[in-house]
This record gives sequence, C-alpha cells and structure tokens, in this order.
Amino acid sequence: MDLSGRFGARSGNGVPFREVTGLESLHLGGGDEFRQMVLPENGGGFTALLELPPTRAVELLHSSSSSSSQATLHSVGTLTFPSNPILMERAARFSVIATEQNPNGNISGETTTSSVPSNEHIKTEPAETETSDQAAVEKQNNRCGKRKDFDKKVKSSTKKKSKSSEENEKLPYVHVRARRGQATDSHSLAERARREKINARMKLLQELVPGCDKIHPKRDRFWWKDEDQSVLWGPSNCKLSLEESFDLQIQGTALVLDEIINHVQSLQRQVEMLSMRLASVNPRIDFNLDTILASENGSLMDGSFNGTTMQLAWPHQVMETEQSYHHRQLQQPPPQQWPFDGLNQPVWGREENQDHGNDHNSLMVGSASLHPNQVKMEL
Amino acid sequence: MQPTSSMKEEFLQKWQMGLQIYRPLIDNTSVSERRKAIKLSADVAMASLRRGTTCWSRALIQKTATEDNFLVRQMLSGIKAETLINKKLPKVMCHRKIVRRSKKILRRRKSRSAIEEVAAKARKLVNKKTQGLRNVVPGGEFMSNDVLLIQETLDYIVSLQTQVNVMRSIVDAAEAGSER
Repeated sequence: MDLSGRFGARSGNGVPFREVTGLESLHLGGGDEFRQMVLPENGGGFTALLELPPTRAVELLHSSSSSSSQATLHSVGTLTFPSNPILMERAARFSVIATEQNPNGNISGETTTSSVPSNEHIKTEPAETETSDQAAVEKQNNRCGKRKDFDKKVKSSTKKKSKSSEENEKLPYVHVRARRGQATDSHSLAERARREKINARMKLLQELVPGCDKIHPKRDRFWWKDEDQSVLWGPSNCKLSLEESFDLQIQGTALVLDEIINHVQSLQRQVEMLSMRLASVNPRIDFNLDTILASENGSLMDGSFNGTTMQLAWPHQVMETEQSYHHRQLQQPPPQQWPFDGLNQPVWGREENQDHGNDHNSLMVGSASLHPNQVKMEL
Repeated sequence: MQPTSSMKEEFLQKWQMGLQIYRPLIDNTSVSERRKAIKLSADVAMASLRRGTTCWSRALIQKTATEDNFLVRQMLSGIKAETLINKKLPKVMCHRKIVRRSKKILRRRKSRSAIEEVAAKARKLVNKKTQGLRNVVPGGEFMSNDVLLIQETLDYIVSLQTQVNVMRSIVDAAEAGSER
C-alpha cells in the first residue's frame, strides 16, 4: 500500500525524515552541534521548526502537502483517526496516570521510561477536543519534525509494540514511533521532545554556571511551562505526590534559571568594570598596548628568564619599542613565529595561576612555568 | 565547554582591530568615552567570533551599530557586514504581547484543583525567570522558544567568559606596566 511503501522502511525517504540527522544531532549535542545543524543539508524541515514562525508556514505547507495523501497516517488521532474512544482506552491502558485528574486512568503498565506518560494522557483529552484544522496541521508539523527525534528517545520498546498492535493495521509505520498511541497526537510528542531538549541544555548550562550543582538534589529534572496545557510537564515519572514533585522541580528550575541570570549579569558587569579600568589607565597604554604587544615577537615566551627581570622589563616594554626590549638581559630565544602577540603569555599565565592559585603576577608565573614549545603548541 | 585558546586569540585580534580604529581619535580624553570605545569594540569582537550564526551575536552587533555604526562596519568588513547590520530582527515581541493579552481575555474558568493551582504558580514562576533571562541575553526577546533561548544563553556565557578572560589579562598587564 502506498502508506507502507512510503513509510514502512523508515529509510528517510519521505519528507518528514529529512530532519532525521538534524534532529539527532540536536538531541545529542550542545551549542556546537546545534550550530552545525542549523545549516544542514536538509534545511527545510528542522530549521523551520526552530526558526521564525514564517518559515514554519512553509514547513506546514510542505508537510501537509505530502501528508495529504496519507491522511490516515499523518492524522494524529484527533481529526481523522476514527477510533478515538478506542485510543482513549488504549492510552488509558498503557499510560501511567500519576495525577488525580484522571480517575479512569489508573493504569497498569508502569512505563519503564522516565517520561511522564500521565501528563500525556491528560493531553489527549484536550487534544481530542480540538477540531481546528490548523491545530491539527500544526501538530502534524510538530510530529513530522520531532518524530525521529522522539524515536531516539524511546526507552520502552514494550510500550511501543503494545501500543502499535492496534494501530498497526492502519499505520504499519507506527511501531517505530514511541508513545504514539499513548499520546495520540503529535502535540504531546513534540512537547516531550522539546522538553528533553531543554533539559539536556539545562544540564549543560548547569555545568557551565558555577554553583548550580548544589541547588537541588533532584536537579536532573526541569519543569517548564507548557503554553497549551494546564499542567506543568516534567521529564520524569514522579513517584512523589504531585504537589511535592511540582514544588521541588519548580524550585529546581527556577533556582537554576536564577543562577544563570546572575552569572550572565555578573559577567556583563565584569566586562564593564574591566573596560573602565582599562580606560582609566594611561590613555597611551590602552590604545597602544595592543600594537606594542602585536609587534612583540614572543620574547615574553621565554621560560628561562626569571620573573624579576620580567617584571622590570614589562613597563619598559610598554614604553619602548621591541628592539630595545630585546636588548634586555634575557636570553634570546630562537625567533619564534608567534602569530599571536605577547598577550598569549598573560592569558596562559592567568590560566596557570588559577590552577596554582597564585594570582600574584600572572605574567611572571606563567612565563616562568611555560616552555616556549608548550606555549606554541597550545597556540 | 570553556573558552578555548583559539577563541581568545581571535577575540583579541578582533578587539585590537577595533581599538585601532579609535586610535586616531585618541584625543577623546574623557574616561567615559574611552571606556565606551573599549567596551563597544570588545562587544563587537565577541559577537563577530560567532560570525552571525547565533541570534545573540546578531542582536549585539545591531545594538552596537546603533551607537557606533562606523566602528561596526570597519570591524566587520569582510564578514557579511552589510547583511548583519541591515538585517532586521524579527518582530516577534509584538506578537507575544498580543497573544498574551488575548489569552488573558479568553481564559476560561477551569476547576481550580490543587494540582492546577500549583501548576499555575509554577508556570508563572518559570515564566518570570525565563523572561528575566530574555532581558539579560541580547536579542532574547526575539527567541520564540525556550530551547533556542537556552542554547543561546549557553553560547553567550561561553563568549562572555572569553571576553572577560582576555580583557582581564590585558588590564592586568597594563596596570602592572603603568605602576612602574
């Protein structure tokens, strides 16, 4: 059948699969991979999802045109999927309901995944009540984009298979897609994928920002707002009562965000202060320093001269030219090809200092400890 | 990811280039003018490290272009300067306000169960924090989704760290020199 032929193989033939590599890389990576991925060969789909809404319209058109022929497949269970009540029951059967909102939903099948299927079950209700075409197309778009990404995150294969058993007749393609029956719409899938991404990045941020590690013991979870739902979604299946879990997780997220904001603000303030300090130094220095350093040919890099001479030599170097500097009592190093200027030394010195906890004179310690070869390699 | 040496080098080179543009105007003796010159050139240098791939860098360049167009043009000559300077950032901000207002109007009365109250509070708190983050990161208002915001913040923090490290070492060197 046309559907199976097109999607059964899941080889990335169809339009939605073009986002595969992009999404994979996005999921796995941090900032760098994201940047690479922003200019992918399959630029249309994924970048549209992440960039401006106007581009999203293009994606919508594209996916809807491709999906129009496979209405059953793409319809994510809200509009054209015929067995809504069956799906509800299926979802109820296979999702873990952790909330009291769903009395029907006391479900067997504790998922093995760490995601929150219960929330997705809740999502099915509002999702099923939506009837606007736009929303459905939007969901389709989300789903197309996030489908592969979502697949990667699937952790419970049993759930997949059991869920797909019913839909398999109509959607042979489904079995690779996790939680499709449970969620019954692309929206929650997309939300889940989005949340995983956010949490991955928040973890990276936590490592970058000092002081985030000790904020909360359960810091591996982050809770984010969900524009279209009434419940706050989280990444994991909460075993606590819902209020407790909400409070804890929200505190975690809010605190981490606070830390991040503080860190960024402090860095910005440091930049301001440093520029003020530099400006208040002798004006000749702040503008000429760099040129002098640039013309400097690596005499600073000599690891063999001692610190005092360095200290004496430094102010003279600022005022004098490079030639006079070389006349100092430093052993002349072999002329080295420093594409960079002498600043490299203090920069490294600073790093060395931080390692050794010596803030005294970054130039001296750094220069004394580094060998020219070493520094050159690090260049 | 921490600032790498190549990033620092590149930043310093670009910053020097920016400062040299100001060198003929060295008679702007006021400290604040010099500070502004230093800071602007440092900002543009930091933003140009990313070559326009990130949202914050574009926003930062546009911001400094409003203050000193000439500097930006000079510094970015050769790295698609014109496109960066002239490109208008998307006006997503307007949309969000309108959407927010209409959501308030259309908000239906739901049953205020305990869960929903907690969820609403949590949502508000997180929203407030993300809004705070948007205010701090340049161009944050134009990042429509949280994923992008976090991504940009990550990159921005690393670049800021680079900038601070390099500037600090220069300042230390200069001050050590001037003390003698």
